Amino acid sequence: MTTPTSKKRRSLIQAAGLGATLGLMGFPAIAKDKPLRIGILAPRGGVAGTIGETGLRGAQWAAERINANGGIGGRKVELVIEEETSPKETIERFRRLVLREEVDCVQGIVSTGASLALAPAAEDSEVITVFWDGTTQDGVNETMPAPQYVFRSTDNECEAVMASLLAIKHYKGKFVRIAGMNPDYSYGRNVWAAFQALLKKYGIEYEVVTEQWSKIGNLDLTSNVAALRAAKPDLIYSALLFADLPVFMKQAHAAGLAEETRFVLPAAGWQHTSLKKEFMPEGAILGHNTMYFDHPQASPLQKEFVAWYHDKFNDYPSWEADRAYFSMEVYKAGVEKALSAKGGSWPSTKEIAQAMSGIEVESLGGKGSMRPDHIAQQMFHQGLSTNNNDYDFATITDITSIYSDQLQKPKAEDDFWKWLEAKQWEI
Amino acid sequence: MNFLTNVILAGLFQAAVLFLVAAGLQLIFGVQRIINLACGSVYALGAYFGITFTTWAMSQGLPPYLFPLALLAGGLIIGLVGIPMERVLRLIYRRPESFQLVLTFALVLMIQDIIRFFWGADPKQLGSLAMIYGSVKLFGVTMPVYNVMVIVLAIIVAAGMAYFLGRTATGKILRATAENHETSAAMGINVSKVFLLVFTLGTALGTVGGALVIPTGVASLEMGVELIVKAFAVVVIGGLGSMKGAAVGAVIVGLLSTLAVFTYPEVDTLAIYVIVIGMLIWKPSGLYGRIAT
Amino acid sequence: MMSRILLVVCLAALAAAPLVLPAYFLTVLIPFFAYSIILLGFNLLFGYGGQLSFGHAMFVAAGAYAAAASYSILGIASFEIMLAVAIVAALCLSIPLALVASRFTGIFFGVLTLSFGMLLHSILFKFYHLTGGESGMRVPRPTLLGMELDMYNKTGFLTGPFYYYCLILLVVLGYIMWRLVRSPYGLHLTASRDNPVKALYLGVRVRWVRTVAFIVSAVYGAIGGVMLGVLTGLADPELSYWTHSGHLVFMTILGGYQQFLGPAVGSLVMILVQDQLMAETQYWRFFVGLALALIVIALPGGILGGLRRLKLKKEGKAHADARQRRPARSTA
Repeated sequence: MTTPTSKKRRSLIQAAGLGATLGLMGFPAIAKDKPLRIGILAPRGGVAGTIGETGLRGAQWAAERINANGGIGGRKVELVIEEETSPKETIERFRRLVLREEVDCVQGIVSTGASLALAPAAEDSEVITVFWDGTTQDGVNETMPAPQYVFRSTDNECEAVMASLLAIKHYKGKFVRIAGMNPDYSYGRNVWAAFQALLKKYGIEYEVVTEQWSKIGNLDLTSNVAALRAAKPDLIYSALLFADLPVFMKQAHAAGLAEETRFVLPAAGWQHTSLKKEFMPEGAILGHNTMYFDHPQASPLQKEFVAWYHDKFNDYPSWEADRAYFSMEVYKAGVEKALSAKGGSWPSTKEIAQAMSGIEVESLGGKGSMRPDHIAQQMFHQGLSTNNNDYDFATITDITSIYSDQLQKPKAEDDFWKWLEAKQWEI
Repeated sequence: MNFLTNVILAGLFQAAVLFLVAAGLQLIFGVQRIINLACGSVYALGAYFGITFTTWAMSQGLPPYLFPLALLAGGLIIGLVGIPMERVLRLIYRRPESFQLVLTFALVLMIQDIIRFFWGADPKQLGSLAMIYGSVKLFGVTMPVYNVMVIVLAIIVAAGMAYFLGRTATGKILRATAENHETSAAMGINVSKVFLLVFTLGTALGTVGGALVIPTGVASLEMGVELIVKAFAVVVIGGLGSMKGAAVGAVIVGLLSTLAVFTYPEVDTLAIYVIVIGMLIWKPSGLYGRIAT
Repeated sequence: MMSRILLVVCLAALAAAPLVLPAYFLTVLIPFFAYSIILLGFNLLFGYGGQLSFGHAMFVAAGAYAAAASYSILGIASFEIMLAVAIVAALCLSIPLALVASRFTGIFFGVLTLSFGMLLHSILFKFYHLTGGESGMRVPRPTLLGMELDMYNKTGFLTGPFYYYCLILLVVLGYIMWRLVRSPYGLHLTASRDNPVKALYLGVRVRWVRTVAFIVSAVYGAIGGVMLGVLTGLADPELSYWTHSGHLVFMTILGGYQQFLGPAVGSLVMILVQDQLMAETQYWRFFVGLALALIVIALPGGILGGLRRLKLKKEGKAHADARQRRPARSTA
């Protein structure tokens, strides 16, 4: 089954080939009518497949909208789509986009493993790369403090910090025995450590009764659930965010955990439509990161997108669509800024990258910007889960929205743990 | 005490799943001397087809509480895919065993994309059907009734296989063929028919296993490839070619990996490989195997 | 004679490629060099030694991680040092394994090596403090023969100096392997493959011969792994997964495991076809599997094997024709 876009891609190669040759021959005016090719790297299947699909749809909507309004600097946007899989293969696909498809910009990436591996290659290739949901932090240590061409998403710890704060606010005094059920990679390990650091900071007494780890791609959680049940925790902190999350919640419910335990799910929003009411508990802390589709104070832009999405796909978008939209907006704004600074002739990649640094945009889930050190700032939304709604999955009430400058360290090279110690929040 | 009960019950569930797949592997190896790398793939096929078939059956009016029957039926139906597979493998029976291994690897690749073609690349679930029977409190531990059913079913299959192989005429024929192909043929046994039966039966064990387990989990494209390693661990520990070994090996691997998850989650898969390697070094024929190196 | 000329022509073509082909295709050829080296080693074990390993990719992983570690531990990014560390790693890993594995043949050898490979995969994954876990470890761009080569960006580096370095490595290692299989050792190895009992009687130290094959193939695998690591800039645990080993087997059989250059041919075809196939369809694995199945069933000698049969057939036909034209001599 070839998707329409892949067929399109082959004919695009021929068109671009001609345009590229002309461009090389030094015809800047003609180059301006050449479409702006943006490579998209997103998972198309597997445990992150639905997430990649959502992001892709967000990117497509953004591109269609841009083209309907005349494109970027008069040039139409064309998406060239490749699949994000393992870190090594993703690097190869990236190379293909840059060397073979000759795209002007690459956007995408949903997994930290892939973004960590890809960033050096992206920086080397000198093509603007905007990560939807990837950082360049190995754990909490920045591996790339001052990139020129690579732009990263908000720190992975944002949702963990926020969820931890909300857990303290809502559940303080109601838990002592805590358990972790987290994905077995750097993201999972860090957010679990961050939660404990925050508990310590606010002087909350706690005891870790068990730490469960799920290998990515592993969807067999029966033993983990049994172990959790045996440990009898008061609170379960789970940053599971791939297709294993609904499986976990289902099995946890079947094992009777939903009645006795409180859940903190910082990144559950990625799977929100799979979190069916039958097995979701009430009052779990549930994070939707940068976009909650049913936010009562949603902007007209978000409402328009959600309506379009539901109309077309009979589904409700997770925050990945917002990340994709944000990336597209940041690139567009950067190009336009560089264009006007250059008085009409097309800016170089370096100039665009410099213009993107510090830029402010309006994303679907709220305002956003790109810091000078190429890390994004966006609005974060979390709340308490509820089954009292018209959908067949859990939604949130009692929503708190916090801007990421309160949730991530202000500079890439800062020490995360020191920042966490010193930072003051009002809970 | 509670801890131990939890480990045992969870471990038995793991063991039940592993046994169904390993039994198929053992049967095929025992009689035909073929190591079927595709045993995990047919397990995956059983899972996916089980979902489709059960969903269809319920849309045709099957009451939800009868869903295991639909799964069983679906698993058996897709188990027939063993027939064309055997036909393909038949072409290289006389080749060195390395080639058989390679051919089954080719099947692994092909089946993975066949699944992708028919069911797409996203993980699939069977909704919350498994919870229809609710949970039960066994020895102080809450467990979904369906999981208990799976364990019971695996025990029934094990007993059934033991009876079939030990007591029935066909079973004797299979064991004779396993001992010596040429002599059996000389005694009038239609060896190629036996091979066909054995391979299909072995495949069906895998597909039924996959189908029955799916309500408690999720079907994904990688599940076949991932399961192979654990299935091999069972077979190596239990002994190649021994059905008893499949049962004992499954229990050992199931309990061990569950114990690891409960105590040192970091080392669960590691522990299994170390045991496999240790077993191969110490007693390559496994606990009950009859094959010399 | 013909085949020698063909070989020279091919090498010349490969040497000229950077001047003609676009950058992307050159980055595709580097894995070809790496896999050719890896498979030269693998085929020593399989084609010449008769041992099918389903865990060989573990040495490729060892090489890539050695390259990454030589930077993160020693702080030096030199290709020669990376190669040296990789060879040491391969030796450390393969010597104990070889001593164990050489006791087995056939299926047991396959299952044992599969387990070893997966054990390494697990270790690389779990001990994330050392190995970076699932994100792997970074392999920086190395100096070649001590030269920084700053004037090239990464792509220029890969398609220029690095390309030639790898090509030369391939030729050198290929020559060494050629001499090895033609040496008395090679004869002992093939003897132990064809009839181990008879070989033992003839005085061949079967187990020792197999152990050496295992170790040599491991070293070749690690060297290829360093090349792959530099190419992608990453050493990741999936390199050690059993299906990667399966692909090594596939490439060897595709090209023809009974011919010296068979595996190299197999790796070239596989890499080119896979690159094209991946762009055309999501279901490339199916076609790869189908091709493998067809070859195993119908053309066990692989591509080179099939070509050889064609050539022999032609020669046989030429002989038969010549005979027909000459009148038969009477025996009386």
